[in-house]
This record gives sequence, C-alpha cells and structure tokens, in this order.
Amino acid sequence: MSVSRLCTRLIEALIVFLLVFMVVIVFANVVLRYGFNSGIHLSDELSRYAFVWLTFLGAIVTFRENAHVNIETLVSRFGRRGRLVCMGLTQGVVMICAAAMVMGTLRLHPLNATMKATVSGIPMSWVSDVLGVCGAGIFLIAAVRLVAILTGRISQSELDAFAGQNLSEDHQ
Amino acid sequence: QIGEINIKMSNGLNAEHPIGVGTEAMNACLAAGSEGKVQVTPYWSHALGSEAEAVQSLRAGLQEMMIEPPSAHFGIEPALGVFDLPFLFDGETAVDGALDGAFGDHIAAKMEPHGLVVLGFWEHGFRHVTNSRAPIETADDLKGLRIRVMQNKIFLDTFDRLGANAIPMAWGELFAALETKAVDAEENPIAVIDAAKFFEVQDYLSLTGHVYAPLMVSYSKVLWDKLSADEQTLIRSCVAAGRDAERAEMRSRNSATLQKLRDAGMQVNELTPEALSAMREATAPVYEANRDTIGQDTIDALNAALGR
Amino acid sequence: MTILVFLGTLAGTMAIGVPVAFALIFCGMALMLFMGVGDPQIIAAKMVAGADSFTLLAVPFFLLAGELMNAGGLSRRIVNFAVVGVGHMRGGLGIVTIFAAIIMASLSGSPSADTAALASILIPMMRNAGYNVPRAAGLMAAGGIIAPVIPPSIAFIIFGVAANVSITGLFMAGIVPGLLMAVALTVAWLIVSKKEQVELLPRQPWSVKLAEARKAGWALFMPVIVIGGIRFGIFTPTEAAIAAAVYALFVGTVVYRELDWRELYGVFLQAGKTTSVVLFLIASAMVSAYLITLANIPAELSTYIEPFLDRPKLLMLIIMLLVLVMGTALDLSASVLILTPVVMPIIKQAGIDPIYFGVMFIMNACIGMITPPVGIVLNVVSGVARVPMGQVIRGVSPFLIAQIALLFILIAFPELVLVPLAVLR
Ligand code: NA
Ligand code: NA
Repeated sequence: MSVSRLCTRLIEALIVFLLVFMVVIVFANVVLRYGFNSGIHLSDELSRYAFVWLTFLGAIVTFRENAHVNIETLVSRFGRRGRLVCMGLTQGVVMICAAAMVMGTLRLHPLNATMKATVSGIPMSWVSDVLGVCGAGIFLIAAVRLVAILTGRISQSELDAFAGQNLSEDHQ
Repeated sequence: QIGEINIKMSNGLNAEHPIGVGTEAMNACLAAGSEGKVQVTPYWSHALGSEAEAVQSLRAGLQEMMIEPPSAHFGIEPALGVFDLPFLFDGETAVDGALDGAFGDHIAAKMEPHGLVVLGFWEHGFRHVTNSRAPIETADDLKGLRIRVMQNKIFLDTFDRLGANAIPMAWGELFAALETKAVDAEENPIAVIDAAKFFEVQDYLSLTGHVYAPLMVSYSKVLWDKLSADEQTLIRSCVAAGRDAERAEMRSRNSATLQKLRDAGMQVNELTPEALSAMREATAPVYEANRDTIGQDTIDALNAALGR
Repeated sequence: MTILVFLGTLAGTMAIGVPVAFALIFCGMALMLFMGVGDPQIIAAKMVAGADSFTLLAVPFFLLAGELMNAGGLSRRIVNFAVVGVGHMRGGLGIVTIFAAIIMASLSGSPSADTAALASILIPMMRNAGYNVPRAAGLMAAGGIIAPVIPPSIAFIIFGVAANVSITGLFMAGIVPGLLMAVALTVAWLIVSKKEQVELLPRQPWSVKLAEARKAGWALFMPVIVIGGIRFGIFTPTEAAIAAAVYALFVGTVVYRELDWRELYGVFLQAGKTTSVVLFLIASAMVSAYLITLANIPAELSTYIEPFLDRPKLLMLIIMLLVLVMGTALDLSASVLILTPVVMPIIKQAGIDPIYFGVMFIMNACIGMITPPVGIVLNVVSGVARVPMGQVIRGVSPFLIAQIALLFILIAFPELVLVPLAVLR
C-alpha cells in the first residue's frame, strides 16, 4: 500500500469515527433533554469541533478524489493539450489557496491558543489548526499533480477525472 | 495631527437600536473634530462575522473597532465573566458610576495585554426573562422552564441553579424555537426583545434584571498604536459622546418600548424585592464557583466601585 | 470596479476547472489585494468560523439519513407502495414516479440521491412496460429536484445560515411550492405521454395496498418525525436531523435488517465525505462573503438596481432570471453561497419577505440542476438509466419548461407561497 493510500484510509477511518461521535453525542443530548430534562452542556461545543475536523480532514481526501464540485464544460471541449494546461493552472491556483490556508493558520495559532472555548475551555487553536493540516495535505496533492503534468507523467485517467470524463466517483 | 481614518466597526445590533443613535453622535463628533477626515463605518447584524470573529480581527489588526457585550471576549479574558454574574448591579446609577470610573479602568487594563484597547462602555441593558408559560413572580416559576441562554458557563450555571433547564442555542434558531415552543423562554434586554419581535411568540415579560450587560467599545491595539496622540484623544472623546447619547436614548426609550410590548399583547410584570432576593440567594453559589476563574482582584475592584 | 474584480477572478478560475471552493478563496484573495488588506489570517479565520456552526450540523445528519434510507431499503419500499397505490391511474408509472418523488422529498434533502433511487428502481419497470425511456428519465430528474424544496432540505439550511433567516420558517414555506412542482410535473406528463401506448398496471385490491403500506409504514413515519417534530416544537431543525438519522439507522438495521457493519461503515464514510465537500464549500464562501461585505459590493450593486427597489415583482423577476442563468453552470449550494451575500441586502432593502425569497431562490437553483450544460441530476439519471446525455436533455425539456413556468407564476403571485405559510406557521 502506498503512503498516500495509507493516509487516505487513515483519514477515512477518522471521518467515520468523527461522524459516529457527532451522532452519539448530539443524540444523547437530545434524549437527555427530552427524556430527563437535563443535558450535556459540553455536547454543543464538542460536536461543533468534531464537525470542523471532519470538514477539513475530509476535504483532503475529497480533493484527492476530484470530488469537489467544479465546472468541466469548457475543459471537456479541449483536446489533451488544452486540458493539460487547464489542469496545470488549476493546480497552481489550488496551491496558492492552500498555501494561504497554511500561512493563515500559522498566524492565527498564537491568537487562538489564548482564546478558550466558553464551556469546555478547549483552546480554539485545537480547532483551527486542522485547517493548516488541510491546506498542507491539499498543497502536497496539487504539487505532485503539477510536477507530473510538467514532466509529462500525468496518467490519462487522472486527466480524465479532472475533465469530468470519469464519473465513477460519486459527486454528490 | 489628524489624518484620514475609516474605522470599521462591527456589532450584532442594527441601526434601529439605540446604538444607531450613539454611532451617529460619535460620527458627528468625529466629523466636527477632524474636518470630516475620521469616520466610523458600522457593519450591523454581524455582517462581517460573529463576535468571536470580530475579537480575532481586532487582535490581528484587521479591523479597528467593535461594540459588543463582554461575553464575546470571555474566551480570552476570564475576568470579563464578572459581567455575567447574576444580580450584580442595583440600578443604572450604580452601573454608570462603576463603568465610567475605576472599575472600567480596571477592566480596560485587563484587556490591553490581549491586544484590545477598551475605549468605554455603552449600554446593552438589564436582561429580563420572557416566556410562553406563565409570569415569573417567584423563583419557583422558573422551575423546569426550558430557557435559551447564550453559550456561556456562568449563564448556564445561573439558570440551572434556579431550577430552569438552560439550553444553549444559536441566536439564528431562537425565534423559530420560541415560535414552535421547542423552548419556553429566553432572556435579553428590553431593546433586543423588541427588535427581535419576541413579543410575537412570547406572552410574558418578567422584569428580573438578573444581569446587566454593557456594550464594550474596543479598538484594535495594533492599529491604535499607529494613531497619533491627537487622533487617539479625538476618538476617545467621541466614543464618550456616543456613549452619552446612546445611554440617554436607551433609557428614554425603555419605558416607551415596555408600553409597546404591552400593546402588542405581552403581559409585563415586576418582581417583588423578596422574590429577587430569593433568586439572588439561590444563585449565590455561582459567585463562589467562579471566584477563581474571574479573579479576586476583579471582584474586589467591583465591590470597591459599588461601595460594598 | 470591485464587482468586476470579484466576477472576473471567480468566473475565470471556475472556467478553467478550478473547484468552486478554491475559486471562491482565490477571488477573496484577489479582493483583498485590490483593497490592500492582504492577510492570509482572514482566510483561515473565516474558513474555520464557517464550519464551526451548530445549525449546520443538520447537514451531515440529514445526509446520513438519506444515505441510510437508500442503503437500508426504505426507498425501495416507498416506490413499491407508490406502484400499488397509484400505478393503475392514467399516466401509470409516470404518476408513480411523481408520487414517490414527493414522499422521498419529504424524507431526504438530496436531489441526486433521490433521483438515483427513483431511476434505479423505476426505469427498468418503465422500459419493460414500453414507456419512452429518455422521457421517463427526464421525469425522474425533474422529480428528483423537488427534494430540496420540500423539507427536510440541506439547501434551506445553507441558505438560512448564510442569510440569517429562520430555517423552520423556510421548511414550512417550502411544502406548498414543492407540491406545486409535483402538480406542474403531472400536468406536463399527462400532456406529453397522452399518445404513448403503454399497458397500465392493474388496480390492486385494498388488501395488497394495505400490505405494501404496512411494509413502507416505517419509512412513511419519517416525515412525521421531521416535519411534525419541527412544526410542533418538539425539535429544532438540527435535532430533527439527528432524530431522522438515528431513526433511519434503527429501521435499516433492526426493522428491515438490510444493513450490516461493513455497509454501515461505507454509509457513514460516504455521508462524511459528502459533508466535507458541502462544508468546505461553505467555509470557502465565507472568505469571499466577508470581502464582498467589506468591499460594499451589495451597495455598489444596489445603485444599479435602485430604480427597481420599489417594484418588488420586477426586482424578483430580474434576480430570478440571474439565478436561472447562473444555474445553467453552477451547482445548487454554489449558487446559494455565491449569490446570498450579494443579493440578500438588496432583498431586505426592497422589502421582499426573506422567507418567500429563500423558497423561490432554492426552487430556482434546483431547476439549475436539470439545465444543461452543467446539471448534476441530469448526469446522475443518465448514468443510472444508461441513456446518453443528449437524449436525457431532450427528455427533460417538457418538465423543465413546466418547472420554469411555475417559477414565473409564483413570481407573479407571491400569495401562493405566503398565504399557505401563514396557515402552516
Ligand atoms: Na426534502
Ligand atoms: Na444547470
């Protein structure tokens, strides 16, 4: 198993864990509130933070699968050369955005480390730092793709997936 | 030495709230003192993001000013929890004396290391309970009441101790939840109760005045330090001018608003001093439980200001 | 000028295939540079804040409920119930499709999942019965897009959060327009299928109908939980979503016993991934929304449409045409997230009811999912029914026209949305 596949499986397992955790904790809170007229005040914060983690960890895997919504109308009309140019430019734009996410998270970290969640007291940096992980992951994937394009080693199936010709991945 | 300054100010209220009058007065003062070079651009209703995001933007020097209740900054400075303690102030005179004097300075000194320059305290108001079940006349009437509170430890603790079922819920979901009776009650200042049209979905307003919330006017320290002394002096004095206008408007409007709420079908009741002191007694442990978080120095500063 | 920077970078990057989420971040960065406030911290702060929302937790839970419904056999039983219930009527399986689409819309908020479920079960039946398959596929697609208009609806949740409008209000307001969409489809279907020579299904005796209703009963109880629970104040929308997910899990594993552990892992993973795609888009949209507000773009825009501000119907018409054009190329949540911060201040200024606007906006953006060139629901139905895209587009056109006609009727007569809302609230 390649490193990237291993990372993907690991993140996938984390996604499932986080979603199960959210279901359990939010449902338990609803049951406690309606059944026993009490509740876990922590539930609201913890479920939200799990949600943030799920969102940004999942975004790495879904970027790898080309599952983020994009418009392929123009790209799919181009030939191989045009598609390669568009795919290369797209990786460039994504890398700029991902780099900004990482840099922004680094600058946010000291501020959020001193900002505590109101009920749980969790430092907000524990929540926001996952965006840096997300940016780094996406940056790496896009960089590997860009290098493959520039060195002419990009596979036809990856190019097809970019141009929306490969509908095996579920988009919704 | 006064240059062109556009002060981006964010808050969660809107121009119809007395804060609109305060902002106008502040802007008139700034225009007069700077030949129109300095002005505040208000972004109402959290158009630029939540209060927590505003705190972040100010500390990072991305935005100049915010006017928010202190609860928003609780995550960075636990001492601000003092404003959430129940039954703290006895009336508006006590409030003004403390906030415009040494206690206000004490709080400002606490915020400076966090990158926020506190320029003064406007008024949000005393918070009161509205609900759809029955008037709250004694502490017992709160028992089992499903009341929405802000996501805030001290508020949750206060209402739990009064026997209510405190539910933290996002502001955006609140109106619908009251309408469908998913929650029975909420608590807010009179001006907010009116602006949010809670009178359409709540039958009873009980003047518990359990918490007094100011609106803290904060400026980004990063950006404040870049201002000239003249600019700083001008802005400080105009925040004070805005404060006076806002408080006056708020207080003159409150009785008219109460009448409006009555006309809209709300039953408004005051609580007897006995009922209030019973509530104060029931919530006394909240003070003890939070003494360490808030800090003895802040509690002492407050007691001194209140002459206790 | 700022508006040109905004539109130029957004359209330019999207055209070359940049995912919409990154195009939004990129256009936010362009606005930052243009305004001279460049700081990546804004991007990080806004993205985290965008995903950190308790209200939006309803999104993964409703998605999970939808996935569980399909995997757990609830969808199949609903279609069977529709077949014995209305299969003998004039229009036959077309009416079954519309009927099943309404029921499924009241269970899930995902047009793609609903369409896939409808098409995978009903297309083979319609093919065998001699129906025009591309037209049937078009009907499935047009029926599938009712899902986000009838509650529960992920699109309403996203709009409600972005526009700060009551989600419960939107849910209640969507019911009647959603049913009207079904009526429009029925009319169109009866007209275009009049000449088709197909065998109608035999009328089933009540005993069979009851038996199928009982089998589908567990599934049919779900809208009672969701819509009833919200309407009568038992749940907030987020709580209703968790209740729906747990209920679907219970029915799929304990009652129907069609889900094993391995499948459950897959279902949770799929729901989790879809959640992250939707939420990452929302988080990215917060970056551009913040800069749109900071750059005062709505104010700039409203100077252009100043003359229409006191003619709300005309203003609605213009905005709805804009949404329709954007919808040809944009996904549902992308349309909502890009347009809401720009048009919402104008809607408020013109005194248009935000809930009415929200319902119309979502309905319109849903229509965008069946307009070429980019229509995700058309892709789904083309894949499941194995009908080439070109034929699906021809097949869907009468139903597309019917939905657009309904949209214009609702612009002309807002009372059709507002009067039932006053009763339902
Ligand atoms: Na739905
Ligand atoms: Na489209």
